Amino acid sequence: MSAQRDERRSLGFFVRGARVVLRKEVRDHLRDRRSLMSAMSMPLLGPLLVVLMFTVMSKMFHDDRPLMIPIRGAEHAPNLVAFLERTGAQWKPATGDLEAQVRMGKLDFALDISEEYPKQFNAGRAAELVLVVDDSRTKTAVQIRRLQSLLRGYSGQIGALRLMARGVSPELASALKLEEINVSTPEKTAAALLSMVPMFLLMCVFTGGMYLAIDSMAGERERGSLEPLLINPVTCAQVILGKWGAVVMASCVSLSTVLAGFMLALPHVPLQDLGARAQLGLHEALGVALVLVPLAFFASALQMLMALFARTYKEAQTYLSLLMMIPSITAAMLSISPPEGKLWMILVPVLGQTLLLNDVLRGEPLRLAWIAAAAGMALLATALAAAATTRMLGQEKIVFGRGAGS
Amino acid sequence: MIEVKSLHKRFGSVVAVEDVSFRAEDGVITGLLGPNGAGKTTTLRVLSTLINPDRGSASIDGLDVATRPLEVRRALGMLPDARGLYPRLTAREHIHYFGELHGMDLPTLTTRAQELLEMLEMGQLADRRVDGFSNGERTKVALCRALVHSPQNIVLDEPTNGLDVMSTRAVRELLRMLRAQGRCVVFSSHVMQEVAALCDRIVIVARGRVVAEGTADELKERAGKESLEEAFVTIIGSGEGLLQ
Repeated sequence: MSAQRDERRSLGFFVRGARVVLRKEVRDHLRDRRSLMSAMSMPLLGPLLVVLMFTVMSKMFHDDRPLMIPIRGAEHAPNLVAFLERTGAQWKPATGDLEAQVRMGKLDFALDISEEYPKQFNAGRAAELVLVVDDSRTKTAVQIRRLQSLLRGYSGQIGALRLMARGVSPELASALKLEEINVSTPEKTAAALLSMVPMFLLMCVFTGGMYLAIDSMAGERERGSLEPLLINPVTCAQVILGKWGAVVMASCVSLSTVLAGFMLALPHVPLQDLGARAQLGLHEALGVALVLVPLAFFASALQMLMALFARTYKEAQTYLSLLMMIPSITAAMLSISPPEGKLWMILVPVLGQTLLLNDVLRGEPLRLAWIAAAAGMALLATALAAAATTRMLGQEKIVFGRGAGS
Repeated sequence: MIEVKSLHKRFGSVVAVEDVSFRAEDGVITGLLGPNGAGKTTTLRVLSTLINPDRGSASIDGLDVATRPLEVRRALGMLPDARGLYPRLTAREHIHYFGELHGMDLPTLTTRAQELLEMLEMGQLADRRVDGFSNGERTKVALCRALVHSPQNIVLDEPTNGLDVMSTRAVRELLRMLRAQGRCVVFSSHVMQEVAALCDRIVIVARGRVVAEGTADELKERAGKESLEEAFVTIIGSGEGLLQ
């Protein structure tokens, strides 16, 4: 009796058995295309996608093409057209039903100058112009804004000239003088725009070991290899520790790949054009690792618990895909309205890591105490999940299924 | 040596094992014969320490299965009902995995794996992934990994189930060899022929109880019948669930 107790308590014995299981799982899954795909596709896709989206976005904000204005009735306002040409804008004549053409997308927008324009203009009244736009098309929003500001400029310029002709200072006509100061630092703007980066980092922590967790828990049951495995002189705790180690490794490989991918990709993103600067140097990468490795521990343990609970491989896939939504939704919510970080938020696994991750990527100094608190909670949750999994693994109905009869 | 005393186990409202006792000596092949659902598999699972009996006890080489599971597992080689393999590992890697779990060192393990593979005529397949193996080949791999640590006690659940003639012969030969080495061999079967051909002692199990025990001749004599099959039917009261 006591010999057995001693053996179970011996750390050497414990680690040896777990290491055998770990080595087997790693070897097995390095040969599994699905495990590899699940571990590597997200980390490789993420940085590519972000580069692509930023390039497109930057084009939208900084359209270098000259402003092209479709105008109907240009002959009624030669001075206005000349003004527009002087600012570098180009125009082309438009005819027919302008509203219909804009609605159908044939024109991005159009300017309609009525026959009344010269009469009203010469009489010193407000001359009417119609700008036809489709507000739902964000692509054209920048061009329309440019045109509107040009027209306002022309209107202000003519108005000022008229006032001066009557001996009135144009300043009287401007009760307000509005100036904008943008207080968000480049790093803050970058973090807002780069909210995809933490989302991908978080998701990689979960996707990295997902298939390994499914295959080594639900798969082991479904294949009927769990019973032969447990007949060996190893405890359930050793089996779980070994498998958990393998899942954590996959998760961390996935995390470091996506991290390296972003570190390589971000310098090639036209962030400056957007008035943003992203920080993902070695210092930030270290911060990310400090925050996310404890989360990888927890995610792996939770995935294993859920995969063991599932009766089949398919069921486990469903559960773990649903689980994936937690980090994605958390990251998406926080990027829309980032709350002021409170200690209780930091202590909630996933939420805490997401908040800390945003801090790190915003270039703020690392708050080591908070990082440690979040890590402590994640480790505690890991231990609970692993203990529950170990307990379950030894149960007759898990090893033999429900109909453990005959 | 394996000893089972008044074993009782129920799953929910279903009584799987009512009262099973038997003794299997070293150097003897003991067969558990009984129709499907008689409680054979549950009894063997108790021996493998993965099911705790509600009442009664079982021991292997004097080690109680409930209180000393790790030592019991060392003393036991078991081919369970479930023979799941890892499709991406080779036959040899399966044997090595279980050997390592038993704490065997690499040189011993390498020699032993090769020996087992040759014994079961698996040399050609040793380094191929088991994905795509036939039923017989899969059972042989499962047998090899169960025997890797040269256990003194061997328990096999329906070892020839689904095997072709050649594989069945190979398994029978292996069991005889293990007996010759003085090991304690227990296997369960619902195939009469199998039991008659191999076993020194037969334990007949029906509806969760041991209904008769002895050599084939003793059983025939007891039932007053010419053939083991008729004796069996007389003893358990029906031939249901039994294969010729």
